[in-house]
Amino acid sequence: MRAKLKSAVLGLGTMGRVHAEAWSHIEDAELVGVVDLDREKAQTVASQYNLQAFSDFSTLIEQSDVEVVDICLPTYLHKEYVAAAAKAGKHVICEKPLGLNVQEAHEMINLCEAQGVKLFVAQVVRFFPEYVQATEQVRRGKIGNAGVVRLTRGGSFPHGWNNWYADEDKSGRLILDSMIHDFDWLRWTFGDVQRVMTRQASYSDGKKDLDYALVTLRMLDGTIAHVEGTWAHTGFHTSYEITGDKGMLSYDSQEGVPLTMQLHSGDRQSEQSGVPVPESPLTESPYLRELKHFTDCIRTGNPPIVTADDALKAVEIAQAALASAASGKPVELSKMGGGVR
Amino acid sequence: MKIGMMSFAHMHAYTYAKLLNQRTDVELVAIWDDDQQRGLAASKTFRSLFYGDVAEFLALDLEAVVICSENSKHHDLVIQAAKAGKHILCEKPIATEVQDAKEMIEVCERNQVILQIAFPVRFAPSIRRARAVIQSGDLGDILAVKATNHGQMPGGWFVNKSLSGGGAATDHIVHVMDIIRWVLQTEVKDVYAELDTRFYDIDVEDCGMVSLALESGAIATIDPSWSRPKTFPMWGDVTLEFVGTKGTLAVDAYKQSSKYYNDSEGKVQLIPWGDDMDEGLIYDFVRCVQTKGMPSITGEDGLRTLEVVKAAYQSHQDKQTVPVSRVMI
Repeated sequence: MRAKLKSAVLGLGTMGRVHAEAWSHIEDAELVGVVDLDREKAQTVASQYNLQAFSDFSTLIEQSDVEVVDICLPTYLHKEYVAAAAKAGKHVICEKPLGLNVQEAHEMINLCEAQGVKLFVAQVVRFFPEYVQATEQVRRGKIGNAGVVRLTRGGSFPHGWNNWYADEDKSGRLILDSMIHDFDWLRWTFGDVQRVMTRQASYSDGKKDLDYALVTLRMLDGTIAHVEGTWAHTGFHTSYEITGDKGMLSYDSQEGVPLTMQLHSGDRQSEQSGVPVPESPLTESPYLRELKHFTDCIRTGNPPIVTADDALKAVEIAQAALASAASGKPVELSKMGGGVR
Repeated sequence: MKIGMMSFAHMHAYTYAKLLNQRTDVELVAIWDDDQQRGLAASKTFRSLFYGDVAEFLALDLEAVVICSENSKHHDLVIQAAKAGKHILCEKPIATEVQDAKEMIEVCERNQVILQIAFPVRFAPSIRRARAVIQSGDLGDILAVKATNHGQMPGGWFVNKSLSGGGAATDHIVHVMDIIRWVLQTEVKDVYAELDTRFYDIDVEDCGMVSLALESGAIATIDPSWSRPKTFPMWGDVTLEFVGTKGTLAVDAYKQSSKYYNDSEGKVQLIPWGDDMDEGLIYDFVRCVQTKGMPSITGEDGLRTLEVVKAAYQSHQDKQTVPVSRVMI
């Protein structure tokens, strides 16, 4: 039997914990450590999976024989830790978005290349079966030539460590953090983007933040796309509607739910309180599929479904969308000047 | 009340005529059409008199006319009817050119006749309820609207630019644009649009996306595409989603329908059971004429929505954001 790939998760926010859980189900890998500034949190997760907690990255590198570092830190910390991991000779899995801008993403890719380590970016929508299916159907010509594509993603405003999502300089907010999923899926399915036009509405009253954007994209193949990104709703949801000259394919997470549970409160007075809890269970979660795939790529040397360059291109689209939001004008991708084309 | 109909080019004419005939206090006296065969057939169906001559038709003792001609003929017919002193309900869009719309409004005003534009969506109870909720302030300030008015490709004169003025953008921006103006009581500041012909081999655009900044500070998009496949269970849709500082509201004007699995036609169909919005529109116009009141949907409502359509075409051509210029009336 081959030795297991030794992994460690850096950052135990929501995504870090989801990844730790996924790693624990991968037979070919062994989670050897978790790192978080919050020692208590690190300890709790470590004991849950019977492994070691580290309070900082350098201790992890010194005291473990980790082979791949899974970076689930806030976006503004990606570059620093991708660089540190690469310099330590470790392979890297980095949460999306790869960087705050094309320049950062470019530097990370170059550094990993120079250090001879692999860099994978967790554009996880490529592992969601409903999106994988849509891409396959389009490629098989099921809808014919694409006409107009409508995508929706979002829910309530996310509240991370130190409220970093609300800080544009740390997260790029809605457009870079969340809508990048749809930008990447569009590029994967229809090819490169020609231009984008963004309308964005943000609101803050000191007690709550709202962020909402409607981005119109023209793909190089002529397809018109509309992406709705929202941190102004309640309850996470996604949807797509792909129309073409031979048909239309649509999906809505609010309708495509196979299981809904509703519990009686057991109290006559509050019979109303049985809130429906929808679930869409899968044998393997998209996060598990993703990390399994990256594990396989490291062990076999096969190219990943989503490359670091794809992740960079997704950042480029998001950056163009942000520039359009700021100017109120359309932005041509060829004029972005990221120096990477 | 004696009423006449001018042209059955637009299929809505058949619904309107049927609704007029249902009223005991309304008499559909005469039908004019420049297509004699079509006009004669309609006059038989609706037990009315056919006229092939406009002057003869307008000389009749009619209080009002309903105009359902091809878009580019609205202007001439409205002007003639107004000069003959008839109150007018005109199918949307008001006209194919802004200057035409302006002249129509002015001539109607000068001749003291009502000019109402057919935006039946205003009479959908779900839309009225949405408006009431939003105007009550329950959603807070409105930050954004995401709207669609999808359809199947209508064919016929709708795809002949000289008669329709344009394709999907001309046909399907104005309905939801009117609702956005009506609900938010604001105008459009600037427009960005991507338009294209991607579904059919026709000479007008069959799809697009319209992106708006409103004077109120809100943003909006309208999808006017004829993107519904032939197997789509309905002719199209009218949906709007409002995002406010205190919450969100989604409204789908045709959601009140049952699902019919039709073996004989080999497709699934949605059969609407909600209130008939065309009935609301027609009876509102009749009431307006009877009471000599202000029309609930004015010529200006038609004009302002047309200006947005024109800005969308301009933006498509320039590949730039285009400010909406509003003509004085």
